[in-house]
Amino acid sequence: MTVLPKAIHASKEKMDESSKQSSASTSYAKETDMDLYLSIVVPVYNEEESVETLIVQIVEAINGLCVSYEIILIDDGSTDHTWTIIEMLAALYPHLRGIKFRRNFGQTSAMVAGFEHARGKIIVTLDGDLQNDPADIPILLEKIEEGYDIVSGWRKNRQDHFSRVLPSRVANYLISATTGVRLHDYGCSLKAYKADCIKQLKAYGEMHRFFPALASMTGAQVAEVETLHHPRRYGVSKYGFNRIFKVLSDIFAINLIIRFSSYPLKGFMLTALPFIFMAFFFGLLGVSAFIFEWTAGKAPFFMLGSALCGFTAIYLIVLGVLGELVVSTSDLTHTHLPEITKKEIHMDKS
Amino acid sequence: MIISVIVLLETQYSDFQEYLINLDQVFRNIGEAYEIVVIANGTGNFFRTHQERFPELGARMRAFEFVTPVTQAVSLKAILKETQGDILVICGSYQQLTNQSLEDCFRAMDATTDLVSPWREKRIDPSFNQLQSRIFNWITRCVVKTDLHDFSCTVKVCRRLVLEEIDLYGNMFRFLPAVAVARGFKVREIPVEHHQERGKTGFYSFSEYASRILDIFTIFFNTRFSRKPMRFFSFIGIGFIGIGIALMGVLFFERLFLETLIGNRPMFLVSLLLTILGVLVSGAGLLGEIIAFTNGRQKQEYVIEKKI
Repeated sequence: MTVLPKAIHASKEKMDESSKQSSASTSYAKETDMDLYLSIVVPVYNEEESVETLIVQIVEAINGLCVSYEIILIDDGSTDHTWTIIEMLAALYPHLRGIKFRRNFGQTSAMVAGFEHARGKIIVTLDGDLQNDPADIPILLEKIEEGYDIVSGWRKNRQDHFSRVLPSRVANYLISATTGVRLHDYGCSLKAYKADCIKQLKAYGEMHRFFPALASMTGAQVAEVETLHHPRRYGVSKYGFNRIFKVLSDIFAINLIIRFSSYPLKGFMLTALPFIFMAFFFGLLGVSAFIFEWTAGKAPFFMLGSALCGFTAIYLIVLGVLGELVVSTSDLTHTHLPEITKKEIHMDKS
Repeated sequence: MIISVIVLLETQYSDFQEYLINLDQVFRNIGEAYEIVVIANGTGNFFRTHQERFPELGARMRAFEFVTPVTQAVSLKAILKETQGDILVICGSYQQLTNQSLEDCFRAMDATTDLVSPWREKRIDPSFNQLQSRIFNWITRCVVKTDLHDFSCTVKVCRRLVLEEIDLYGNMFRFLPAVAVARGFKVREIPVEHHQERGKTGFYSFSEYASRILDIFTIFFNTRFSRKPMRFFSFIGIGFIGIGIALMGVLFFERLFLETLIGNRPMFLVSLLLTILGVLVSGAGLLGEIIAFTNGRQKQEYVIEKKI
């Protein structure tokens, strides 16, 4: 087995202690209050064939580490027997917990529900379709113990069709370039988080791809490690083709949230800037056309263009002010996110 | 199991007491414990004049009044905590379904169903009303993506949980089945026979149509985009910007290669306007996203059915 960092050993000792305590009291409620080291969150949707193999693989990978852990399976409204199988498996594996959604709410919701229920200090997410290899989990944990807040997997040798790899390359490049959090593989579900960093984010919509970028709001340190990737064994891929547009508008939204959700007026002001310039430019042209009696571009036309651009700029600024109102009346928790990752500097008192 | 029969009394019909006594009869025959709760929505005086005529209902019936009329959704939400039923049967101001169909609706409520919506398969209304009702139902069906056929019947049978969990407001009662589907409840539609629809026939007022269309749009936006507004706004915004820039491209092509003068072409103005419109719509989308992120964070959209 890989050499374990100190912290894992420490937590192992802690676990031994607490498990002694809980076995003394023999109540399950006590055990649920226990602090765990690791929570593994796996959203599953119609994965009746692979669930069991998945659990076996995860347990195999984790057992060697000697850490306290739990596996949380979120059944995202499966229409097959996934939930029955999870219930059966839960009787066999005491570390397994299950959450069943009333209908299909999407992967982001499933992951967020998993985060909400996770009791571990570190949360690892992976796909339920066996494309990620649970054997990579220890590598991610080692990286976390090095001090990173988020470690993302990178499927360097991706086992998918070219038509899926290429759009994802472009998307990864765009997300990296715009958010400044450079990762090769945002789409890889195998990621490890320090629980505080991801729990506070309360993601929504379809943001699961962007968790590392979103978490940069907390000032989290992000690293990536190469992981294995297996071709799909069962079922079909659950992605549609019209994703390009959706991902583009999501990239747009995520950038806005990261950069400007604490200062919306600034964001809208930046959007308004080109229009302010254009308003002046057209205005100047209009005045010159009027003075020098140009025939091609008629003065009223330029004046109209100038007025329109001016209106747009003013409207955008008004929206920005409205945005400030929204932010100031909100719970404002997102403006304090960096407090999660603050670290004390130990002074040298020699 | 207790059944709460909720009567939304909004219009005054002369056969009201026969209707109530009949309703009482239907549920007495079913044989479960039940109560009848009348919500007199701005019709309190009318209800009082009829009250003495059915003393035998006495203990089983309770009534509440809103002096100033409110919408069905609001009155239901307000009265919910006064009712005791595990299953709620919601009825209108007059008998819309035949006794048999009403019972069928109730019986259709099995362990796996959360809401039963009646489908008046064979309509016996004037053909013009049928037509507009059909159009309305069709639009709603397309917009909210369900396979339900009939949204305009007031009668609904649902579990208490459905009304407790769904934040109904405004005119949303009509769309209760659609919202319930979006929330993950199991909704079942059963074909029923109905009595002649009362109330206005022929054309409604303009504001009626307008508010109906706005309601459909509200439901559409709330069920699909309330947690990802940017998707909706950028779809429209990028569309406008795209058309605007394409038109501008055509004009520049003409100016450069065909040497036509474009300064006085209306198309120039149109392209400029479209681009700007697109920017404005996308801007509103940004604000929407900020609202969703800052204020909607405590409200997660998923519903957990079971945990182990």
